Amino acid sequence: MRALVDTAQTERPEDERRLTYRRRLKVLNAIAVSAMIVYSILTLFPFYALAVRSTVPTTEATTLHLWIPEAEEVNLNAQVGNLAVFYSLDLADLKEALGIPQTDFLGARTSLQDLIDEYDLGEEEVQGFFSGFYTWNGWNTVLSSEFFGALMRTVLITVVSLIGLTILSIFTGYGLAGLHRRDQRIVYSIYLLQMVIPAMLILLPQFLMIQWFSNLFPGFSQPGLTRTGVQLGSIVAINVKGTAFSVMIFTAYITGLPKDLEESAMIDGANRMQYVRHVLLPLLKVPIVGLIIVQLPLIYNQFLEPFVYLDPDNTTLLPFIQSTVGVFSTNFQVIYAAILASILPLLIVYILFRRLFVRGALAGAVKG
Amino acid sequence: MALTSADPTVKRSGVPGGTKARRLRDSRVFQDWLFISPQLFLFLLLTLVPFIFALPILFTDQSTFNDPSVNSVGWANFTAVFTNESVRADYFPALRRTLVFVALNYTTIYIFGLTLALLMYEFGIRRGFFTIIYMPLMLSGLATGYMAVMLFSQQTGTANLLLLELGWISKPFDVFSAEGTAFLLPLMVGWRFAGFNMAIFLVGLLAIPTDTIEAAIVDGSSYWYRLTRVYFPQMWPSFIIASTMALIGAFSVFDELVALGALYVNPEAKLLSILFFTYGFQINRLALGMTLAVITFIPLIFVGIILLRLQRRLEYR
Repeated sequence: MRALVDTAQTERPEDERRLTYRRRLKVLNAIAVSAMIVYSILTLFPFYALAVRSTVPTTEATTLHLWIPEAEEVNLNAQVGNLAVFYSLDLADLKEALGIPQTDFLGARTSLQDLIDEYDLGEEEVQGFFSGFYTWNGWNTVLSSEFFGALMRTVLITVVSLIGLTILSIFTGYGLAGLHRRDQRIVYSIYLLQMVIPAMLILLPQFLMIQWFSNLFPGFSQPGLTRTGVQLGSIVAINVKGTAFSVMIFTAYITGLPKDLEESAMIDGANRMQYVRHVLLPLLKVPIVGLIIVQLPLIYNQFLEPFVYLDPDNTTLLPFIQSTVGVFSTNFQVIYAAILASILPLLIVYILFRRLFVRGALAGAVKG
Repeated sequence: MALTSADPTVKRSGVPGGTKARRLRDSRVFQDWLFISPQLFLFLLLTLVPFIFALPILFTDQSTFNDPSVNSVGWANFTAVFTNESVRADYFPALRRTLVFVALNYTTIYIFGLTLALLMYEFGIRRGFFTIIYMPLMLSGLATGYMAVMLFSQQTGTANLLLLELGWISKPFDVFSAEGTAFLLPLMVGWRFAGFNMAIFLVGLLAIPTDTIEAAIVDGSSYWYRLTRVYFPQMWPSFIIASTMALIGAFSVFDELVALGALYVNPEAKLLSILFFTYGFQINRLALGMTLAVITFIPLIFVGIILLRLQRRLEYR
C-alpha cells in the first residue's frame, strides 16, 4: 500500500523531468542547426562575393555590390585608345562590329562621338557594343586562348599524376603489405617522414638537382618539345613520388584483405603481377577513391612547383593566373574573374562528386 | 614435400649460378622489392638525394643556381644568423611573423575544426552541411589569399563595405597592414581547412567506444565533464595528427602569401618560406638561403618525428 502511494507521488515529477529534458534537447538541436546554418553562410559568402566582384567594374570597386551591377552607358567622349586599354579591347573587333572597314586607321584620340559622326552610326549601336564590356570585361580578358592552354596543361598533369600515383602506390602497398619484415617497416617509416618534411626545405635543393638532371637532355636549353616535355615530366615525377598518406592507405587496406585470397590465386597459376591486375585492383576501389579525393585538389591547385619549374608561356593554371594578376594589377575586375575562373573547374567536379568527397574525407582521415 | 626438397639439389649440381638467380627471382622478398622500388626510387631521388646534392653547397658562397665562381666559406653561412646584420634584419622579423602565424593558425584548428566536429557528432552528421564546410578545401592557396584581399582590402573589400554598411564596425580592416595580415591570414587559412580538420576530429570522436559515453550520461555528468574526461583523453591520436600537420603546414605556407603580395610589395607578409624563396630565386643568396632553411627546419623535423611516434604509440595502445 505504501509502495503504491510512493510510486503515484514520484511518477509525476519524473514525467515532467523527462518532458523538460526532451524540450531542452529540442532547443539545443535548434541552436546547433542555426549555428551550422550561420557557419555555412559564412563559408559560402566569399564564393558568392567573388562571383559578384568578377562583374563589378574597377571604377565601382569602392561601393558595396551584392548583385551583378547594371551596365552603365559608355561615355561617348571617351577616346578609343583609352577604351582599348581599359577594356583590353581588340580594335579589329570594334571595327567589325560597327561595320568600319578594317583598312581604316583609328587614332588613339578618336572619341566615340567622332566615330558616330564620321561613319554615320547609331548611338544605340555603339552603346550596344560596349554594354557587354561593362559587366563582362573581366571574363572577356581572362578567357583567352592562353587560359585554356594553361587549363589543358593542368588537366593533363593532374590526370597523368593521379593515374601514376595510384598505380605506383598500389605496388608499394602490395610490396609492404603486412609489414612483417624489418625492411618493409623501414621503407614504411621512410615514407612517413614525408609528413614532417616541409615543402620549403626541399624546394631549393630539389630545384638544384632537377636543373642538373634536365641539362643532361640535349635540347633542353632551347625552347622546344624536349624542354616542355622534361619540365612537365619533372612536375609529374614530383607528384607521383608517393606521400605518407598514399602509402599508408594502400598498405593498411591490402594488409586487411584475407590471406587465402592470394594463395588461391597462386594455386590457380597466377603470378603476382596478374594477382595485382585481376584480383587486387577491383578490390581496391575504396582506397583508390580515397587517394584521388585527397590528392586531386592538391595537384590541381599546385602553384609552387609549376611556378618554379615551368616556362611562363608553357605553364599551368595557377602560375598563369598569378602572372595575369601581375599584368592587370590595378584592374580588380580582371583579377577576381581570373581567380574565379581558376577555381570553377574543380568546384564543379566537387559538386558533382560531393558524395564521394564526403565519404572519402571521413574514411581518409582515419589513417591520417 | 620430398619432391620439392629434392628438386633444388638436382639443379644446384647442374648450373649453380642459374639456380641462385632463379631462387632469388622466386623469393618473396625479392618480388616485394620489385613492387616497392619504382616509387621508392622516385621518392628517395626527389626527397632525400637533393640534400646530399645540397650539403657541400651550404659551406660555399654560391649565389645563384648557375654561379660560375664558387668559393668555400666554411661555417660562415651557419653563423650569419648571428653575425650578419642584413641577414638578422631579414630573418628575425620573418621568424617572428611565422611563429605568430603558426600559433594563430593552430588556434583556428580548434575554433573551427573541433567545434564543428563536436556539433556534427552531437547532433548527427548532416551531409549537406558537411559538403558546404568541406568546400573551401577545393580552393588553392592563391585563391584563398586573393579572397582575403577581396574581402578585407581597406577601400574595396566586400566584407569591409558590408560591415560598414551594417554599422558593425567603424573602421575598415586592412589586410595589408601588419595586424591585418597577422590576424586575417590565419583566419582565412583556418576557414579553408575547417572541413579537413573537422573530418580529422570527427573520425577521432567516432572511434570512441559509445559505452563509455553512455556510462557518463547515465551518471548524470555535465557536458563539460564529458568533454574533458571522456572525449578528449580518447582523442589524443587525432589531436597529435592535427598538430603535426598544422605545424609543418604552417611553416611552409607560401601560396597565400604570394597572393598578399609578399614577393614584391607587402613586407608584412614576408614569412620564412618567402625569405628562403627570395634568397634562392631573387636576390642571389642561394647558399645562405639553403642554410637558413636547414637550420630552421631540422629541429622542426625532429619535433614532427617525436609527435608521429607518440601518435602511433597511442593509437596501438
